[in-house]
This record gives sequence, structure tokens and C-alpha cells, in this order.
Amino acid sequence: MANSAIAHQESFISKYIFSRDHKMIAKQFMITGFTMGFIGIVMSVLFRLQLGWPGEKFWINDLLLGSWANGGVIAPDKYLALVTMHGTIMVFFMLTAGLSGTFSNLLIPLQIGARDMASGFINMLSYWIFFVSCIVMLVSLGVEGGAASAGWTIYPPLSALPEAIPGSGLGMTLWLVAMALFITSSLIGSLNYIVTIINLRTKGMNFMRLPLTIWSFLVTAILGVLSFPVLLSAVLLLVFDRSFGTSFYLSDIYIAGQALERFGGSPILFQHLFWFLGHPEVYIVLLPSLGITSEIVSTMSRKPIFGYKFMIGSILAIGGLSFIVWGHHMFVTGMNPFLGAVFTITTLLIAIPSAIKVFNYLTTLWRGNIIFSPAMLFSIGLISTFITGGLTGLILGDATLDINVHDTYFVVGHFHIVMGLSAVFGTFAGVYHWFPKMFGKMMNNTWGQIHFWITIVTAYGVFFPMHFLGLAGVPRRYYTNSTFPMFDDFVNLNEIISMFAIVAFIGQFIFIFNFLYSIYKGKKATQNPWNSNTLEWTTPVEHIHGNWPGEIPEVHRWPYDYNKPGYEEFIPQNIPLKEGETQSSH
Amino acid sequence: MLLLSAFAFILILFLITFIYLKGSDFKEMFKENPDDLKFDEQENKIQGWLFVAFGVGFLLFILFLIFKWGGSLLPKAASVHGTEVDSLMLLTGIIIGIVFLVTHVLLFALVYKYAYNKNRKPTFFTHNLKLELLWTAIPALVLVLLISIGLYNWNSIMKPLDDKEDKVLIEIYAKQFDWTARYAGKDGKLGRASVFLIKGNNFLGIDTTDVVSFDDKIIKNEFHLPVNKPVQFVFRSQDVIHSAYMPHFRAQMNCVPGLKTQFNFTPKYTTQEMRRITKNPDFDYVLLCNKICGMAHFAMKMKIVVESQEDYDKWLASNPTFK
Amino acid sequence: MENNLSISNYRFSENKKALEPLLWIGLVSIIMFFAGLTSAVIVSSTNASWKMFSLPNTFLYSTIAIILSSLTYQIGFMLVKKNNVIVPKLLFITTLILGLAFIYFQYIGLSNLYQQGVYATGSQSSNSSSFFYVLTVLHVVHLLFGIISLGVVSTKSMMNKYNRDNFLGIKLSLTYWHFLGLLWLYLFFFLTNMMSN
Repeated sequence: MANSAIAHQESFISKYIFSRDHKMIAKQFMITGFTMGFIGIVMSVLFRLQLGWPGEKFWINDLLLGSWANGGVIAPDKYLALVTMHGTIMVFFMLTAGLSGTFSNLLIPLQIGARDMASGFINMLSYWIFFVSCIVMLVSLGVEGGAASAGWTIYPPLSALPEAIPGSGLGMTLWLVAMALFITSSLIGSLNYIVTIINLRTKGMNFMRLPLTIWSFLVTAILGVLSFPVLLSAVLLLVFDRSFGTSFYLSDIYIAGQALERFGGSPILFQHLFWFLGHPEVYIVLLPSLGITSEIVSTMSRKPIFGYKFMIGSILAIGGLSFIVWGHHMFVTGMNPFLGAVFTITTLLIAIPSAIKVFNYLTTLWRGNIIFSPAMLFSIGLISTFITGGLTGLILGDATLDINVHDTYFVVGHFHIVMGLSAVFGTFAGVYHWFPKMFGKMMNNTWGQIHFWITIVTAYGVFFPMHFLGLAGVPRRYYTNSTFPMFDDFVNLNEIISMFAIVAFIGQFIFIFNFLYSIYKGKKATQNPWNSNTLEWTTPVEHIHGNWPGEIPEVHRWPYDYNKPGYEEFIPQNIPLKEGETQSSH
Repeated sequence: MLLLSAFAFILILFLITFIYLKGSDFKEMFKENPDDLKFDEQENKIQGWLFVAFGVGFLLFILFLIFKWGGSLLPKAASVHGTEVDSLMLLTGIIIGIVFLVTHVLLFALVYKYAYNKNRKPTFFTHNLKLELLWTAIPALVLVLLISIGLYNWNSIMKPLDDKEDKVLIEIYAKQFDWTARYAGKDGKLGRASVFLIKGNNFLGIDTTDVVSFDDKIIKNEFHLPVNKPVQFVFRSQDVIHSAYMPHFRAQMNCVPGLKTQFNFTPKYTTQEMRRITKNPDFDYVLLCNKICGMAHFAMKMKIVVESQEDYDKWLASNPTFK
Repeated sequence: MENNLSISNYRFSENKKALEPLLWIGLVSIIMFFAGLTSAVIVSSTNASWKMFSLPNTFLYSTIAIILSSLTYQIGFMLVKKNNVIVPKLLFITTLILGLAFIYFQYIGLSNLYQQGVYATGSQSSNSSSFFYVLTVLHVVHLLFGIISLGVVSTKSMMNKYNRDNFLGIKLSLTYWHFLGLLWLYLFFFLTNMMSN
């Protein structure tokens, strides 16, 4: 083996379980995150069954939900529990940890030319705290009263008072514990990413030669470090309110037959603190995907990414703006209208860097030579969902228009497309693209393509019609719409959405099968299967601790020298400039 | 059960991964050395076509949705400010629609046109300041337009009604899981209330010693509004956050325990007129809850009737005062 | 450069060069944590039920203790860099004692408040006092980690582990300690301003 240079042979435990090797930790994050994601998707299918065919009995509910389902029909409060847990799991466990955790860990050291993360120990700790947090979150599904049911945004007083909804008892306590652990994990992970990127770049790898993936991971980590502590403070105050009788978020409440002795708190305070994290969180989810696809679109079009500096600028702009737009989630909370106006302006400004990104993607495709690997297909899918979802953001970000679509299915459609689908597509693209790097095997191409087509068609089939529901005024988080005759016209549409959701779910088994099958029996990968320029493809196919068997390569150029006129088809970053060759200006 | 299956699934995936990792030394099993960039040209062509087909299919799907359900969307706004909201929505919708169409046509056309061809040499095109400034400036200009119209409307919608103005003052009171309306009565003022005064029938916690509260009227099930007269709403909540959503009037405001929030609008069409407009004899305005508030969140509703001033006066007189 | 060491020389445990920036960025996240809480204080203080109360003098003593501890720690560190053997040991122990004194004074201060009838929770409490308890306690929780690191530094210095060339451990602990001192000063002035009459 190539790593015979390393004296110590590691035991099974230290190699596979308490590993400090970033590549192994990346795989651990991926497997755990995807497993959580799978659970989240199952939940969504279950409540989609209820929404599509309200009151109908399904044996699958009995099988999977047991006491949560009343003879095959989900109980109304457990429906809310499912919605809440679906949101929590998808946003935090799948798309934050599963996406950022996987690809930041895998790619940061490999693409900047480092032996490992700044601190392998902290990295390991980050994963295992995340793992414990997953377990706590899953355990909360089984406790008395059910899991947290106050929506993934857990607005108090609903989340603060067990009298308000059964899920706000032990289930919510465990939710808060799991989130505190998750925040810790995410924070120390982000610390590690930032320090690694800043301190451990190989010789010649200056910031203007970093691949866009690394830029997006850097900004993501910075957003995490700045915003997650604020969520932690919000969660802590909620814990005090729940367990120790303080009233930070509570005031003038009469519930379950008595007035509570709580004064002076404000539920709105929680929303401010929550969304101060919550909005950057959207970009914590989205930015890694944009970075991943920038890399893939360039490689697979065999062309440099167009407007490298503007791409970086727009990542930074999106990151910066994300901290001053949180109020757009609160336009109808009775906030000061002046603040509403300010938040409208800042929110709509995000459209500018987003537009730059979209047009730069399109220009990158122009006069390229596009190879439709599954990764590329998903990247193109991301461009589409990013446009579709981003545009409806113009409606929601405008306070005037938000009044009437706030908290309706319009919102559900919007954020699932722009954040959910884009992030998921980015994740899939990343997995297909870097699978050879992770497992030394190739994934099956044809099945990947089939997976893509099923996914994009069904995903749009699920989320696009939701805009119509929203424009008809259908509120989200309704157990059934049948109490309102005005929504009767949409019974069929809900059925259609649910059917798309089921097909989408089944379609993912193609991916799971392809993934597992390729790990065992996939074609063996070559060192640089995509003829890519970045440094990770200069490492041997077989993983070694320390990444490069010899010296770490030195970097001489930016990562996008594809089809540079007069030179080779692609020139990896570690190739020195030829005689007479100038740096590609960018 | 869900818990169990979740754990089982985690366990299985971990086992599989570990088994694989243990077994990765058998790498000699697959000795072929593929050159993976040699994708079939035909295959790439097909994918290009599929994108075009997808684009057309997407468009047809949207047309189908519009054709089938476009008529079931909310009817035209039944309030004065709502008309402004609707026209801004239309403008934004048109802009969004055009951008959506143009970018998607571009995307799929580019993808189709530049599908892999072994004879093509891609253009090395790294940046172009003019182009990039162009697509920084155009969205910025469009945004200036949208923001200025939006803010103009926002400020006029959120402005509380003048004290002297002739208006109806209604408190909407939310609790798990129903709505109550309290009309201010002849004096045009609402009496004090507190959660600590809630007792028996007085579920709004109204201060029975407050003179102002005596002529207040408490209304359940359905409440009436006079047409073409400004209505000032005050919202309160008893337990958790609710949201008073009156979609036909383009009105929504959260009801937050411990806070009094406000919204005002002027109804434009009576229920009867709206029934003619929508060609639906059963049409009714409705107030629904739009913030997750507990088990029966989905069933929390109240009917709204808009009628002429005379009918409204008659209806109001038929309801008893608080004391 | 450490990066370019060939693989056989590379140590896989920790990258020492990265420890300091790790700490600094960690401090940024702690700042954000307290920024979140103190902005919550500002928002809550606009409520009519926000009650003012008077702070016992013990909080002044604890403030003096933590300032002194920062000074002794800093001087000890500077002497280590000058290869002084004996004095730093004494200074580190003094710092540890001052740190513990700080926690003691905080405890006494809070119990005085409690005796005055300023409660953290319950119907008698106001959000101002709740926030005061929460913030001081959370600061002490962060300080406990500082105390642990001080304990480690003191023990190691007793064993003569530090000298002119090896002081990274002290430097990290010192940075954290100074940060906690500054954090307390900020909290002290902020809380006095917001809550005390």
C-alpha cells in the first residue's frame, strides 16, 4: 500500500469509528446525514398521504407510526409533529450537516493542499456530537406526547407550554437538547473549516486561486460561526422559560384554565433571535451547493467558470446580506412598519448577486462542450431550481405582497424549490462527482441519469403547483383543507402533488441502489476521471492518511484552465506555467 | 415503530459501509481502466434533447395548472388597499414570468446546443466586465422599481387610521381554537382587558369595572362589516401566537399574547356583490388562522359578512352589549 | 513550511500553528452568543414591566478580582518568556486564586440579590433580574473552562514544562482569560446600565 510510510497501523476503531482523517469523517457525515434525510423524506411522504387523501386509512401509517396513527389515519397533533420533524431533520441534519459536513470535510484539505484539517480531534468531536444529536432527535420521536410539534421554527408560546400542544412536553425538551448539541457540533466544525482554509493552504494557493467550492465553504462556515451562537442563546432562553419559570418570551397568557404568572416577555423576541440565525441558515444550506455546482459546471463544460471574481463577490454579498434580512420572516408580526420597509429593501437586494450567479452560469455553458454526467445534470437542475425559486422570492421579500401569501403554500413552494431542491441537487451533484474520490469507484452513469430525470420532474411536480395553492390562500401546516369549502377545488391538485411525492420518493431508491452497488461493484476509478484541474485529483485513488504520498503539490495557476488556447485541454493547478504562458486573467 | 425502523436503517447503512471499507483491499477485482470522459456522443445528444423536452413539458404543465386551477385562485381583492396589492402582484408576476421564461429558454437552448461534440473546441472566456456590469445593473433597476412601488403601498397600508376618522373598531380575539370579535360600541372605544380577569363567561378577560367596556359587543361565529367604511382591527391572543388571515381582503396580522397588533382596511364589495363577481352563490368571506397554533389549527375559522350600512346597523343593534 | 513537509515527517495529531486562530474564531462565536443575549436584554427592557434594582457591592469586588487576575497572569506569562522560573509559578497560583475569588464574589453577589428579593424566576421576578442571573451564570460557566485551563497551566508550570521556547499553552489560556475579563467588564457595565438604579 502507498501509505506504508506511515509507521503506525490503525485499529478498526481508530480508523473507522473515532477516525480523525477528514476523508473518513466526510463519509461518516454523508452516511449519517443521508440516513436522517431518508427518515425526513419518509415523514414527508406520510403527511403527503394525509394531505392528498385526507382521512383515508393507510396501512403504512400503522406500520411506521404505530400509536401516532389512529387506525391508519395520522392524528392531527402528530401530523404537526411529522411536519416539524421533517423540517428540522431536512434543514439541519440533512442539508446542513449532511451537505456542508460531507463536502467541507472532504474537499477543503484536498482542494487547498493540506494533509488534514487544522484539528483532527475537533473534527472527530464535531462528527460525534452530531451523531449524538441525531440519536437524541430520533429518540424524541418515541417519547410520550410525541415529538416536538410547534413547527421547525418552534415559536413560543406554543413550544414553551406543554399545555398548548402535547409535543411541547418531553419531545420539545429533547428537540432543544438535540439542537444544542447540533449547534455545538456545527460551530466547532465551522471553526475548523475556517482555520484550515486560512492557515493551511499549500504554497502558491492564494485566495484568488481557490476553487469556488472552497470560497463557498469558507463563507458558509463564517455564517455558521456568526449565526449559530445566536440560535443557541435563543434556545437557552427558551429552555429557561420552559423549565425554570422565567418569562423571557411569555406574557399575559391564559391556558388550560388558568392565567400564568408570567410578565413582560415577548414572543417576538424569540422570532428576532431565531431568524437572525434562520436566514443565514438558508444560505448555509444553499451556498455549498452553489460552490459545488460552479465547480462541476465549469469542469463538465470544459470551460473556465465565467466571471470568477464576480462569483466570489456574489457569494460574499449573499453572505453579508443574509445577516440583515431576517425581518422578512416577520412582516406580519406587527413589527414597526419602518423596519418592514428596511427589511424589504435589504431582502430584495439579494436578487442582484443571485442574478449575477445565474447569468454567469449561463455564460459558462455558452460555447462549452457539455458532458452530461449525472453530476452535470443535477448542476443544470440546480440552475433551474435556483432561478424558479429565487424569482418567487421577489414576491415574498416585498412586505406589501407578503401580507397575503405569508405562511401559505406559496412559501412552502418557494423555499422548497430555492433552498430544498437546490441544496439537494447540489448534494447529489457532489456525490456523483466526488464519488470516485470518496470510494475509488465510479457510480453507474445511466442509472444516475435516470435518477436525475425522475427527481427533477417529480420535484417540480410536487413543489410548483404549491404556488397555486398559496395564491388561493391555502395556509401551510393544515392537517386538512376540508374545513374550508373555498379550497374544495384543490382536492385533485393535492392528490397530484402527493402522487408526485410518492414517485419522487421511490425514485430515490435508484440512487440508494446505485450508491451501494457502486461501492461494491462499481467500475474502478482512475485518478482523475473527469479531467479536472483541482488538487484533489492529484491524490492517489486509494485513500492515505495525509492525502499525498510525497510532498504536497505546489499551486501555480487558478483552477479553471480548461481549453486554454494554445495549451492542453486541461491544466491542473499544480502544473507550472509553460515558457511564455501567462496567468489566465480573471 | 418509526423509531425502531430509523435505528434499524442507521445500523444497516453503517454495517454496509464498514463491511465495504474492510473489503476495499480486494481492489484488484476490477482491473479495467476506463477513460471516463469518453462519453458517448449519442448519449449526450439524447440528454440535450431531454432537456428541451423537459422545458416544453414544464411549460405545458404550467399552462395546464393555469387552465385548470387559475380560476380557483383568490378572486379580485375585496378591499381598497387590496386592489393596489393586486396590481403590484400582477406587475411582479409579469416581470417574474418574463425572467423565468427567458432564463429557462436560454438554459435549455444552451444545454441542447452545446451538448458534447468531439470536434468542438470550447471558447476560453473567463470574464467580461461589461457583461457582468450589465446583469448587475438590470436587476438593480428593476428592483428599484419594485421596491419603490412596494414601499409606497406598504407605508399606506400599515398607517393606522386617524382617531377622528369615521370608522368601525373591532378587536379580534384568538384562542385555541376559535375566534371572537368585540365591537367597540357607541363610544368607539374598547374596554380594558387582562388574562387575570378571565372567568366563566368573561373569556375575553374584560374589566367589568371599566365604563368603556359596558357598550362593547361580543360576537361569535360570524361578524359583519359595513361596505366602504374603514375598519380598524386590533388583535389579541389568549394563549399562543395565531394569525388572523383574511385572504379576500389581502389582510393578515399575527395575534401575539401580550401584544396588541393592528391592521385596517376598507371593504369594497359586499358579500352579495362578491357572490356575483365570483359566480358562486355560496361564496363567503372568511377569517382563518395562519400560524401553527396547536392540534385544531386547521379548523379555526370565522365567517365574515360584508353588507350595506343599513343592514350592518340592523345586525349590530340585534346583538346585546356586554353589560 | 510545515505544509510542505514530506508525509513521513507529518504528525497527524494537531496542527499547532492552527490552535491560536481556532481560539480566536471560537471567541468570535462566544461574542456572538453574548451579543444575542444582550440584544435580547435591550429589546426586553422596553417593556413596561422591566424593573430596576440596585446591585450589591460584591460585584465591584469581583470585577476588581478579575482585573487583577488578568494582570498577574499577563506578568507571569511575560516572565516565562524571559525564562524566569520561580515567580511565574507564584503568579499563576495567584491568578487561579483570584479567579476562584471572582466566582465566589459572584455567588455572594447573587445570593445578596436573592435576599433583597430580586429573584431569577417566579411571579415576583422581572425579566431584568432573570437576565441578570442568566448572564452572570453563563459568564461563570465560560469562566470555568478558563479555570480548568489555569489549573493545567499552573500544574505544568510547577513541573517546569514551560520556558522561553515553549509557552503556547499559556498563551492560549491567557488569551481566553483576558477575553473573559473583558467580557465581564462589558457585561458589568451593560447590566449596570440596563438594570441598576
